[in-house]
Amino acid sequence: MPPITRWFIKAGMIWFCLGVILALAAELPSVQARALLLPVYWHMLVMGWITQVIMGVSVWMFPRKKRDRKKEQSALAVGAFYLLNGGLVVRLSTEPFLPLFTESGILSGVVIFSAVLQVLAILLYIGEIWPRVQPKAKRKRSKQGG
Amino acid sequence: MPVQSVWMIRLSLVSLLLSALMGGLILTHKAVPVHPALWGLLPLHYELAIWGWLVQFVMGTAYWMFPRHLKGPGRGSARMAGLMVALYNTGLVLLLLSSLMGSVKTPLALGGRGLLASAVMLFGGLMWHRVVSYRER
Repeated sequence: MPPITRWFIKAGMIWFCLGVILALAAELPSVQARALLLPVYWHMLVMGWITQVIMGVSVWMFPRKKRDRKKEQSALAVGAFYLLNGGLVVRLSTEPFLPLFTESGILSGVVIFSAVLQVLAILLYIGEIWPRVQPKAKRKRSKQGG
Repeated sequence: MPVQSVWMIRLSLVSLLLSALMGGLILTHKAVPVHPALWGLLPLHYELAIWGWLVQFVMGTAYWMFPRHLKGPGRGSARMAGLMVALYNTGLVLLLLSSLMGSVKTPLALGGRGLLASAVMLFGGLMWHRVVSYRER
């Protein structure tokens, strides 16, 4: 398993644990901010956990165009890892406070920045994996072509 | 990788991108009000993330990677698999259209869910006998 896959899966496991703990905390009778926390833990679970594990495993298992690239760490995958996790951290630490600081331009700017980071992460991941999703016959032809 | 998996995985990546873009727009609108109609994208954001991306990616990858039959076509009927991809994505489009129109229980939504369910049942039929181990214990 390449290092980038281990990073994706371990980060995914951390988000999974944090998401479940936050979902539990949101259900406590003393917590009044359930509606604010709902998108936070859903994104921890769907993006932080499931999507991130899928990304890590697909970067490892999907056929590469050239065998000699097997050991190389793809810059696109590494970029996707940092942008996704950075975007999630920034988003989850700011989004719940939006209703409390409605006039804060800085907070709004940071939330929008987190959205950009996450979309960029998805673009990098797709850039990495798209060329590796092709029928076997076409892959053989492109290998023979050099 | 079989062509049916290529289609499912590529369509799932397109769904992921669309869902992320919609999520980005909704989050931006939450921070700085852009247009109230953007909240209408929320159900599409969910449907694309769950059905378009996660479920479809897993189905496409499983169809590719699970053990193949020892006799006959390795992955079963290729036509049935093609039908599964077509039904699944037609169902998804109908579901998205019904969400876009803000209608939950309409013939469009019902048709979309019905096609998705048919595709999933076809998937079950195609995969059932591929959940095996050929190694002797």
